[in-house]
Amino acid sequence: MTNDSVKLDILKLDAWFGDKQALKGISLRIKPKTVTAVIGPSGCGKSTFIRCINRMHELTPGNKVAGTILLDGADIYNDMDSMDVRRKVGMVFQKPNPFPNMSIADNVVAGLKLIDAADKKELEEMAKENLKAVGLWKEVENDLKKSGASLSGGQQQRLCIARALAMRPEIILMDEPTSALDPASTAKIEELVKALKTETTVIIITHNVQQAARISDMTAFFYLGELIEYDETRSIFESPKSPLTERYITGRFG
Amino acid sequence: MKAKKSSAHYNRQDAIFKSILISASLLVVGLFVALFLMLISGSMPSILGNGFGFLTGTTWDPGKGIYGALPAILTTIATSLLAVALAIPIALGIAIFFTEYAPEKAKFSLTLFIDLLAAIPSVIFGIWGLWVIAPLIKTYVQQPIVASIGFIPIFGGPAYGISLSLASLILAMMVVPIIASLTIEIISRTPVSLKEGMISLGATKWETVKHVSLPFARLGILAAVMLGLGRALGETMAITMIIGNSYMWPFANPSIFAPATSITSKIASEFYEATSAIYVGSLIELSLILLVITLVTNALFRYVIKKTNRGARRQ
Ligand SMILES: Nc1ncnc2c1ncn2[C@@H]1O[C@H](COP(=O)(O)OP(=O)(O)OP(=O)(O)O)[C@@H](O)[C@H]1O
Ligand SMILES: [Mg+2]
Repeated sequence: MTNDSVKLDILKLDAWFGDKQALKGISLRIKPKTVTAVIGPSGCGKSTFIRCINRMHELTPGNKVAGTILLDGADIYNDMDSMDVRRKVGMVFQKPNPFPNMSIADNVVAGLKLIDAADKKELEEMAKENLKAVGLWKEVENDLKKSGASLSGGQQQRLCIARALAMRPEIILMDEPTSALDPASTAKIEELVKALKTETTVIIITHNVQQAARISDMTAFFYLGELIEYDETRSIFESPKSPLTERYITGRFG
Repeated sequence: MKAKKSSAHYNRQDAIFKSILISASLLVVGLFVALFLMLISGSMPSILGNGFGFLTGTTWDPGKGIYGALPAILTTIATSLLAVALAIPIALGIAIFFTEYAPEKAKFSLTLFIDLLAAIPSVIFGIWGLWVIAPLIKTYVQQPIVASIGFIPIFGGPAYGISLSLASLILAMMVVPIIASLTIEIISRTPVSLKEGMISLGATKWETVKHVSLPFARLGILAAVMLGLGRALGETMAITMIIGNSYMWPFANPSIFAPATSITSKIASEFYEATSAIYVGSLIELSLILLVITLVTNALFRYVIKKTNRGARRQ
């Protein structure tokens, strides 16, 4: 049942932390080359949701996942190896996490170095290309040998996006990538997210509903581990079907 | 009025307390200085009588009044370095297994065993080394090596069992728990965010350890190694029992399978026999040398720790 207009097909996804169920029967379809925003109050399961998509949730002993996630028709829990899934589904975290022991250039190609023995020249090219893609090249061109930790927070986050992009992922997951950043850096990353969808599919968690409205095509609203509403961003913001959604996006909610 | 009185009261109490603390600290400093001065004065007969030759001499013959400390100094350094070299891979293996692979249930018993190993009195290691390990490594390790590559002087025969290499092996076992427990501590402080960053790129557990945890823990591991080295340098009981107490190594016989004498084993085994002032002085000077070697190691350790802290703060 491969469908060209479905990148990610999520069916009845449940997730647990030990005995505590954090996701309850989540089903949604994500089209390729779109930006999907995931919104909802704190603790509603947004992070858990995207961490199921790159199989990071299962890393903690005791955590469980049930249901099906199909990436281009392939079941990521049964047909694919977890390492393979993570190479195809990249992730950008809330707090920028460049590897402090690696140079800026090495940070970008850290994932590539794990899979193929590209020569130095090629890796340098890849580093340059991906730094350009996130608009960081001009800023770090002369500091490529410096530690990734030497950059500002916003630069670090773009470096982390470059690191994820270098893997040529099918999907990029972002968990509140701008919540630790200043407005100028946030604006740069928002532009970047919009540009990314020409190449890849983005799923981004945000606490900022205006940000969701600005950058996403689709929006999913989660509440207490359930998917309350999933629709085109415009419909969600103009005519939400659920009163819960309406209360959340109008800010009358925790 | 009342407040003023009570603050004066507290000030007085503070002053008394402070002077107690200061005297306690001064006591420690005083003790160390006194120890050092006493070692120097105790060494005087040797420093004056043997001169600089004490440090370079290779013969130790109290009957003839010849005291050369070089073999003991070299043996102490060699056994300790070799012990640490043997201990590092084992301790790292334990630490990596513990932090990344061991199931929670196994962790408890593993910690218990590491702590137990660290608590074993060294005389027990000595007995075990002498009666159990010495014959075993003589037959199954030393003799085969001598038979195959014995033409290389440091692996030359005959195999004695009790030897420099046995001492290093037993020292390694004493040092492993020190390095392992510190390394576990340090590796488990690797930020989860960094590890997840690497895992999210498709890295295996081992790749995550190699590219994130170990580089993060690098300086801390070095500090742990220094601490282990300090332990190895000062170990006396077990060494005295298993090193062979012969002045052969390294000049008469450079083989690591030959018996040797370390600074500590020399002092421990001869102190009661020493009668003349220069004999006693020579043994005391040996301990002074050991103290200096230990202090240098400790200074290195402190330097590394300082760098580690600075590095950690930068992140
Ligand atoms: N390690 C954990 N152990 C147990 N329960 C957890 C753990 N992490 C999260 N949870 C619970 O799972 C639920 C979902 O958490 P999750 O982190 O996915 O929420 P979130 O929507 O991302 O919240 P936030 O907006 O604060 O990041 C919460 O109720 C939380 O308490
Ligand atoms: Mg979250």
